[in-house]
Amino acid sequence: MTITATATELARQDTKTPVDRPDGFHAVESEHSLGYNVPQKVGQRLWLPMFIVALMGWTVGIVLAIAEAATARDDLDTLQTLGQLIPAFMFIGFLGIFSAITFAVARILGEFRRGGGEVQETAGSTVQTLKMPGTAKAMLGFMMMGMMVMLAGIITNFVGAASFTGAASDVADNAATAVASAGLRRMGVALYLTGIAFGLGTIIEVLRFQAIRIREVAAAYGHNHS
Amino acid sequence: MTAVMQLGARPGSAADATSKSRYRTVGIGLALVGLMGAAAAAIGNFVAAGSIDATNSYGETLAWTFGLSIFSFGVIKIAISIILMGIIVRLWFRVDAIKDSLARLHGHSDTAVQPSAGDIETDYGLATVAKDPPKPLPIHRLARAMWRPMLVMGAMALVVGLISSLVWAGETVGTQSFREAGAWTQGVIFLGEAFLLSGIAFLLGTILAGLREGGGEVQHSLGLPVTTLKMPATAKAFVVLMMMGMMLGIAQFIGYLVAIGFADNTASFSTWLNVLGPLRELSLGLILAGVVLALVSIANVLRFQFNRVTTIVRTGQ
Repeated sequence: MTITATATELARQDTKTPVDRPDGFHAVESEHSLGYNVPQKVGQRLWLPMFIVALMGWTVGIVLAIAEAATARDDLDTLQTLGQLIPAFMFIGFLGIFSAITFAVARILGEFRRGGGEVQETAGSTVQTLKMPGTAKAMLGFMMMGMMVMLAGIITNFVGAASFTGAASDVADNAATAVASAGLRRMGVALYLTGIAFGLGTIIEVLRFQAIRIREVAAAYGHNHS
Repeated sequence: MTAVMQLGARPGSAADATSKSRYRTVGIGLALVGLMGAAAAAIGNFVAAGSIDATNSYGETLAWTFGLSIFSFGVIKIAISIILMGIIVRLWFRVDAIKDSLARLHGHSDTAVQPSAGDIETDYGLATVAKDPPKPLPIHRLARAMWRPMLVMGAMALVVGLISSLVWAGETVGTQSFREAGAWTQGVIFLGEAFLLSGIAFLLGTILAGLREGGGEVQHSLGLPVTTLKMPATAKAFVVLMMMGMMLGIAQFIGYLVAIGFADNTASFSTWLNVLGPLRELSLGLILAGVVLALVSIANVLRFQFNRVTTIVRTGQ
């Protein structure tokens, strides 16, 4: 723990110099491992809370669905309200789980960044770390867009549930709200999934860089027996 | 068939580890195609929402937007699967690179840093030290065998679902055949989604298997005792959640088939759908929850492995 803290302190004071690599990777050079960056630290802290949010959202959604199935078919007020609330809570669950997945991918990227740096440092080499690739930035962008769009869909559902007065004339308005919110929620899912694809694509690039880099370190700092 | 079996397989010794990954390029491209499909479906929903009044019918529009959006999610999931195959391939390149490099980088120490056999406690969980690399666990063998069939079945169900959503959109709203087509579409397309997500989960299991096998291979090649993390609780929970989600995915499909039998009675039919809607979403949710735990397990194993590599570089043990 003490060693980790010291390494983190050193990384904070470290100067990062851009490296001109012939293989086209955009990297920075430093004396020590750079540790986790901010999104990776956030990912480490938030995956579990988001996971719990997902479980809670689904639990409420399923309970309401059972209540809806037990509701008399002529109880329009209850059916219309529950018809809005159930998808809202189910998608609070999906918002939580997709965020948790994105944070877990960020966490994996963090382990590569920190661990890759530590291996180079231990070997006596200067540490080369990939700059955040465009695909990683895209992952964060898609995740944030997905979260906002899905949240907009969920809020639309809550507005629909709250604004239904029980009048027959409200049925068409409620249907329009439900249709629009379904579009928003599904678009949110697609944005989240695309972000996850970009995040996993980043892992491939990091693996490619690290496989090249460790051979460079071995060639420069290794001994010649095996 | 041979080409399918080669997907995600360990690359040969002549393969170029420095070249860019085609899996990544294809996967990201396909994900963007899926995103565009989902955007088209969302626009369809907004148009339908804007034109709803007390008299008109919007059911046809919702039928095809439902089919297209869920199909598009499936396309992105297939894209994610392709990228995961690329990760598996790159992990083997990593194993070869670390094996070659550690042969030149390992340090020397006269003091034993850990026992040569038995169980040890590490910062990352309980581990086993043994002379030989660990054998794959049954769940790893299952994951390696099952990800391909799951993805193929999922893709087939998705195509059937998309086509049947178009048939559904062609039926007259409010009729029995409209309800039957709707129930069939929802059941089959979500069954496809459950299969695809299970395929992704099995691919993550294959990655965990590769990390375990590769880690053992590296240590064994250096003549060191092989230290391997025992299956963590997150990995065990991942398997349970994935299996529960997959079973629920099959159950919701059966539920929709049963609901078709009530399509002549609007009240009974809508009661069935009230429960099946959230249930089908829960089935995907449980598999996704398993995916989170699999990713967390992968992060934990990587942390352990980097620690092990630095220890070998520092001490040679």
